[in-house]
Amino acid sequence: MDNKTVKTKKSLGSVISSYSFVLIALGIFIVYLIVNGGATTWSGVMNIFRHSTIVGIIAFGMGLAIITGGIDLSVGSTLCLVSSFSVVIFNATNSILLTFLFALAAGAVCGGINGVLIGLAKMPAFIVTLATMLIYRSIAQYYLRTTGVSIYNMNGTLSKYDAFYGFGQTKILTVPAVAIVLILVTVLMVFIATNTKFGKTVYAVGSNERAALLAGVHVDLTRVLVYVICGLLCGLSAFLWMAMNGSVDPATLGKSNEMYAIAAVVIGGISMAGGKGKLLGVLFGAMSYTIIDKIIASLRVDALINDTIKGTILLLAVFIQIMLPLLRSRAKAK
Amino acid sequence: MELLKMTDISKSFSGVTVLSHVDFSVEKGEVHALLGENGAGKSTLMNILAGVYQRDSGQIVFDGENMHDISVQRSEQAGIAFVHQELNLFNDLKVYENMFLRKEILTKLHTLNKGAMIARANELFESLGVDIDPNVLVSELETSKKQLLEIAKAIFANAKLVILDEPTTSLNNNEIDHLFSIVRRLKEQGKSFIFISHKMNEIFTIADTYTVLRNGCFINAGNIADTTPEEVTKMMVGNSYSSEGVYQKRELGEVVLSLEHASGQGFEDVNLQVRKGEILGLTGLKGAGVSQTMQTIFGARPLLSGKILIRGKEIKHENIHHAMKEKVGMIPSNRKENSVIPDFNLLENNYISEHTLSFGKQYINKKKELEIFDKHKQALNIKANSPEDMILSLSGGNQQKVILARWLTTEADILLLDNPTQGIDVGAKAEIYRLIMELAEQGKTILVNTLEIPEIQKIADRCAVFYHGHIQTILPREEINEELVMLYATNVKQATEVKNG
Repeated sequence: MDNKTVKTKKSLGSVISSYSFVLIALGIFIVYLIVNGGATTWSGVMNIFRHSTIVGIIAFGMGLAIITGGIDLSVGSTLCLVSSFSVVIFNATNSILLTFLFALAAGAVCGGINGVLIGLAKMPAFIVTLATMLIYRSIAQYYLRTTGVSIYNMNGTLSKYDAFYGFGQTKILTVPAVAIVLILVTVLMVFIATNTKFGKTVYAVGSNERAALLAGVHVDLTRVLVYVICGLLCGLSAFLWMAMNGSVDPATLGKSNEMYAIAAVVIGGISMAGGKGKLLGVLFGAMSYTIIDKIIASLRVDALINDTIKGTILLLAVFIQIMLPLLRSRAKAK
Repeated sequence: MELLKMTDISKSFSGVTVLSHVDFSVEKGEVHALLGENGAGKSTLMNILAGVYQRDSGQIVFDGENMHDISVQRSEQAGIAFVHQELNLFNDLKVYENMFLRKEILTKLHTLNKGAMIARANELFESLGVDIDPNVLVSELETSKKQLLEIAKAIFANAKLVILDEPTTSLNNNEIDHLFSIVRRLKEQGKSFIFISHKMNEIFTIADTYTVLRNGCFINAGNIADTTPEEVTKMMVGNSYSSEGVYQKRELGEVVLSLEHASGQGFEDVNLQVRKGEILGLTGLKGAGVSQTMQTIFGARPLLSGKILIRGKEIKHENIHHAMKEKVGMIPSNRKENSVIPDFNLLENNYISEHTLSFGKQYINKKKELEIFDKHKQALNIKANSPEDMILSLSGGNQQKVILARWLTTEADILLLDNPTQGIDVGAKAEIYRLIMELAEQGKTILVNTLEIPEIQKIADRCAVFYHGHIQTILPREEINEELVMLYATNVKQATEVKNG
């Protein structure tokens, strides 16, 4: 009888390959420091967090969807639709709280529609969210046309405007408030993924749906909830976007954000096949991309080269993630 | 005239001998039944002939030619066709496209000559007496037609010897008759068949000669006309298996699980009553409906009519949660697909079901979970370094123990075990059966589905034998023996009255 079990003591190699997202972010950050040289400032570094906030928060929702084996292409459009209408709500109510609650609720509804179609009607996630990606943005743009202006502008004359817009700019002990929100979301999402029963079911569904089902996991409901959470996070991002920018252009806001979110998730080491990966990686993945933006800005090269570099980094990151375990197992075989 | 002669064939896989010095020969124009229990070595022998495995030693002469190295292509060219149980057809291609795959008839312009291929297929089907339209998609054919298409394909490829691996499993009686008439017609044309089946009545209908294997060894060969189903069964089973003292006699409690005229997908009108603390063995050939019955009790498949009562309470069968709440647990067959969460460690795999029952309390108290897991780990003798080990790093037996612990953690009282020793080595098997006995002594009610009757003999209080979706008989412990069970499972013997209680 075979009593031997494969040793799973954590070797340095396995730690490196499961935290490769830290190395990638660190590598890019070092390039940033070199490029910036003496011009590096504390507030410049803090700005990296600030500018990672929107995509970062969205990417956590994307991360959950991908862990279940699905995807959410509608996140950018959800961000766009929710923030567009949130502007309308704020202008009508002059209430930050109502705007905040509306943004969360609207996000949850957008995500809920995806969730019901994917989880209960069993339609493919790619197709469902591709369709809602088209629909959500179109609604935002169509409604804007009926109002006869070119962008959704928050009314600066309202009494709560300064407090709202101010929140987007303010710093607490030199750290931008929105960056603190990003960190809080990170802590919450990592906690949910690792310390709650719901978190485990998300992984179980992505790892082996059939076994999860026969072990009693509510697979359908887990799917619905994951997309609702994804929508909620888009709603939160929408609220933060308004605070940071004060206006919403539905033609551009959130465009390609789904792609950046997917990239952040993948660089963060989460497997597109589902079931595997750490949500903490998402934060590093999102920041890696922001740092690249900063590097390009400092180098004063044409911003249009931006996506070439981002695409290349994505390929490299995935290549490393695939090669590391292979190299390790080859080394072990020797 | 001898078509195939395999002499002194041996084969082992990673040190385990599966065939040892086996002789096997087939005459031209005969149907030869290859008989043996699961694991007797039939498939390995056929896979060697078809070039899937390489033999370790021995000689193969086919059609007068000494075959040294056999590859799949070489075997095909020589005229051997293997019709697998899982049919190797492309469902999304049309019938004629399947037949002519890689042998397409082309026009002068090197495009496909569909007309010629369809005409040729029609011709062949007519000569075989098969009613299939070459122009329909294979996915639209019934299983029996697919079976016939496979045979037609083999004949078209000029096969001299066709291996049929349990071809009747999913066919009804009329379809079986049709298949047999075609086999007979081809036999008259000089084709030979190797017929692998467990069903004695079919073997005695269609086969001319037989060879019996047991535990990888050649046991006997001869003419079907000179033997009886009882004699052949005895050869397959060997000396009655001793039940090695695992079994403990116990006082059984009240009835906790009963099925009243229960019907579902794959089974009909099943009546069963199981007592607290009882171990009930269920067995039947593949497709007899045992697995489906278990899944239906658990709620993983719908109950179409009849009642299933757990502790006197009728439960809903929309999903498995009702059964789980009534303390029913199931270890499904095919551990890799249906039980194991591959990206989870032992602790997570163990707790996944309990989490469903305690979903209201979301926070995971890891310390407490580790304590309880450790208790089960000790009790079940799970061999692992740490609860944080990934489940796939364990051997099959230990993985299965973790899955068993999963249901013990939910405090399930009624355990449905579907083929629990599948893919587990002999030592671990014995351990699992000892555990089942222990659990029953603690008052758990256990249903075990297995094809291996010696295992049922070891532990079961009673044994329900299924055939074609219904219970043939329920044997009390004293009457369980492999031969008798086989006779019922193959419908040689029909129960006049089902004993129940």
